[in-house]
Amino acid sequence: MTFPRLEPRWRRYLRFFGPDTRRDVDDELESHLAMRVEEYVAEGLSPAEARRKAAERFGSVAATRAECLAIARGRRRRAARAERLSDLWSDLRHALRALWRQRVFSAAVVGTLALGIGATTAMFSAVDAAFLRPLPFPRPEQLVTLRNIDIPFAPAGQVLPSRRPDIGAVGAVREIFSSVAAYASGGLNLEGAGPPLRVGVATVTTGFFTTLGVHPAHGRSFTGEEGRPGYAQVAVLSYGLWQRWFGGGAVLGRSIRLNDRSYTIVGVMPRSFTFPEGADLWIPMTVPLTFASFEPFRGFLASQVVARLAEGASLGQARAELRLLWQRAPAEVRASFPEAIADPLAPLQRTLLGDRRTSLLVLLGATVLLLLIACANATNLLLTRGAGRGREIAVRAVLGATRQQLVRLLLAESVILAVAGAAAGLALALGSLGLIRTLLPEAMNSVAAANIDFRVLAFAVVLASATGLGFGLLPALSAARSDVATAMKAGGGGATRRGDRVRRVLVVGELALALTLLAGASLMLRSFRALLETHPGFRSQHVGTLELTFPAQTPRAAELAVLDGTLDRLRGMPDIAAAGVVNDLPLRGGGRIAITVEPEGRPTPPDGGRPGARYLQASAGYFHALGIPLLAGRLMTARDDSAAPPVVVISATMARELWPGEDPVGQRLQSPAGLAPRTVIGVVSDVRELGLDQAPMPQMYFPVHETPPQNVAVVARGTLPPGALLAALRGAVRGADSTQAVYDVRMMDDVMASSLAPRRANTQLITAFGALALLLALVGVYGVVAYGVAQRSRELAIRAALGATGGNLLRLVAGESAWLALIGIGLGIPATYAFSRVLASLLYGVEPTDPATYIGVAAALLVAVLAATAGPARRAAGLNPVDVMRAE
Amino acid sequence: MPDDRIDILRGTLDLLILKALSWGPAHGYAVARWIEQATGDAFPIEEGSLYPALHRLEERALVEAGWGLSENKRRARFYTITAAGRRALRAQVDHWERFARAVFGALSASAAPRRADL
Repeated sequence: MTFPRLEPRWRRYLRFFGPDTRRDVDDELESHLAMRVEEYVAEGLSPAEARRKAAERFGSVAATRAECLAIARGRRRRAARAERLSDLWSDLRHALRALWRQRVFSAAVVGTLALGIGATTAMFSAVDAAFLRPLPFPRPEQLVTLRNIDIPFAPAGQVLPSRRPDIGAVGAVREIFSSVAAYASGGLNLEGAGPPLRVGVATVTTGFFTTLGVHPAHGRSFTGEEGRPGYAQVAVLSYGLWQRWFGGGAVLGRSIRLNDRSYTIVGVMPRSFTFPEGADLWIPMTVPLTFASFEPFRGFLASQVVARLAEGASLGQARAELRLLWQRAPAEVRASFPEAIADPLAPLQRTLLGDRRTSLLVLLGATVLLLLIACANATNLLLTRGAGRGREIAVRAVLGATRQQLVRLLLAESVILAVAGAAAGLALALGSLGLIRTLLPEAMNSVAAANIDFRVLAFAVVLASATGLGFGLLPALSAARSDVATAMKAGGGGATRRGDRVRRVLVVGELALALTLLAGASLMLRSFRALLETHPGFRSQHVGTLELTFPAQTPRAAELAVLDGTLDRLRGMPDIAAAGVVNDLPLRGGGRIAITVEPEGRPTPPDGGRPGARYLQASAGYFHALGIPLLAGRLMTARDDSAAPPVVVISATMARELWPGEDPVGQRLQSPAGLAPRTVIGVVSDVRELGLDQAPMPQMYFPVHETPPQNVAVVARGTLPPGALLAALRGAVRGADSTQAVYDVRMMDDVMASSLAPRRANTQLITAFGALALLLALVGVYGVVAYGVAQRSRELAIRAALGATGGNLLRLVAGESAWLALIGIGLGIPATYAFSRVLASLLYGVEPTDPATYIGVAAALLVAVLAATAGPARRAAGLNPVDVMRAE
Repeated sequence: MPDDRIDILRGTLDLLILKALSWGPAHGYAVARWIEQATGDAFPIEEGSLYPALHRLEERALVEAGWGLSENKRRARFYTITAAGRRALRAQVDHWERFARAVFGALSASAAPRRADL
């Protein structure tokens, strides 16, 4: 017969290897045509005619075939996907069941990993906010801050010539800087129906919002004219102040009063915009500056200049351009700003981060070490368990599981452990977010606070997967590699010598890393203790303080009346020992003014490098209240007023620098900045006002009654409880002037604590990491030694039977753990040395290579290891040979 | 609308195939013959389009397929309707009957629509 060709018979055997869709479709279509032809032939058509008619009736064979094959392909793809998914499910189900059976083991691994992943994730959230995540401004990489750029100043209507490059000159270089702006943070009293509210005020040049690329949510930002002196006063509110003060109602065009001046509200910024930190509202900074510009700034305007690089301009070009601008400044000015010329600009993000960079990186490094220890520990636990599971694995292998399937199953277990560890770790990270945030400066936190966001979540997930593979792969491979026959024969154990060695190596590594972290932690702790032992130059205990601000136009006499009234009321209270005022509290943070001074008649040679002296204004009670001892001469009195001859009280350091070996009292000092000569009446002890870790700079105190400062801190010492003391302070101010806004009402102890807060957080974290590292490493050593004793119980029993005493066995086991510890210490010391070099800039009062620390930590580690393994060692010593032999 | 017609045709073809298989397992040629006879050869399709339709039904698990021998001892692929296929068939038949009744009722209506209804 001439029917369509049949497939060769042999081809059918190929089907054994799985369906051949292409052949199936061809066969099916051919068989259809063949049957149709058969039928036509039976009706009497010629075979040729029958084939023609059959083909006509069928339509296009090629098209049908193509369509059928397309359907088959789709089905194959879906089937493959479904199979992979069901494999995954069954692996996960098996793994979960296995882990549930060994709950204690699983909890130990999950806990270990949670510590590692949690600590690393928490630190990553800080590092992410500080370095990695772009600032929430458009094209943030174009934003730079410029160092020591001047803002023109017109104190009396006439602009003083700039001796440094000023923002006008920078802004003129259009091809490099597309815009430039200055901003400064201060505070003003917002006056309303009730008592005034102290608000954070940012004074900004009119290009500020454009430079950052932000726009108000309502209304507008500042126009160019509003930045010229004498123009109408306008303000842009922050979202927060708009909600708090105005309840979110219509405010555009309304006016508010700040320090007795009226401002028209022209805009409200979006909720997300809080830059610079603490800004409740923004008012224009006039260019040139006038005296009025200084109102919110305690007489010191610490402005920061921010610029946006033009499209295509590089940091290098900008740096070169700024150096060119500095070249035009007079030589003696250039000599005073070497840093600005060497490094005239920095990315905004780096500026906001300030000096916290190193400590963040150190802490992140510490968490990575901790994570490594955690991983090593988890690997160890898995290896130990893997050794006990040799039989189960062997059974699976005998039942036909391929090596690949076994590895996959074991990896599924470790990935589940890692995911559970990551979940617990994230909870830990969330819990420590408050502590983490104190690691970042406020300037950074207000713009881009550390957060557990999607990026951090993604980081944790990647970390979990990596650790899951990292700690799971080795045990999985070693378990799957183990020889089936040996495993079955060996019974439950089946441990290999190789596995033991890996476990020991891991434990030694853990001990080395733990030593490094412990040494780092103890260096930081010693620094912190040294800092706490540093005498700040004043006594902060039992001292309460609050601050108030007088508008610039307040008459001197009126202000003095309020201050004297307040102090008289305080002194009249029986529980108050002393009270006084100062313009600037020590350790308060923020900008400071220093003035170059010299002994009268002995001008400092130009470029003489004499540091400026801090300009302070105080009353005698300030020294009494803070316990700053008078070393020579007398303190100022209320009679040292503007009518009396000008006098000054100086610090011991200043006395030493200006009049070395002479009696400073009665000497006169002057300032090249135009300060009238005045007589030194007394010398007081130094105060560390910039920070406990900063050597005190020369300080001079002018009498408050001569020129009362605009911003005043009132201090009072008393044996009252803090709440009552602060209430007494508030009451005294209210009694003297019921309209005064007081702010920063707090105990001096709190001022000191907040100045220590970043360092405290650093120290707490690294100490916690060190302690956790130690704990994990000890768990690791314990595991290895206990397991070793269990494994060797037969050998130990034989030794006992042959006459070894309990003491011999104890020494044998303890000796082993001592060896592990000693090798760990040996490896850890170079690592510690490297780590301490990085740590050096964070230390205070202790050398990074302090031998006592190294020896102490190493000894402590050795003792801890011996203590941790005392249990298994005693068990070895107490082995009864008969019992062991019987158990075999 | 040509696309609608194709959809209707394809849906109808699926229905006819399921109906053909409801009598028992059959190969593609037998299904084609049954449709040919049952519709009086009035169903305007090419036989080739039967196979993609059968394969799609197989993928939707409305029919199952396997190789077997035809009455003429020829190797052929046999299709069997599944339980899900029977359910689909019942639902489709229902749907068709309602649809046909409605269209037929409308076509045999004897009164023009009243103005008030418009």
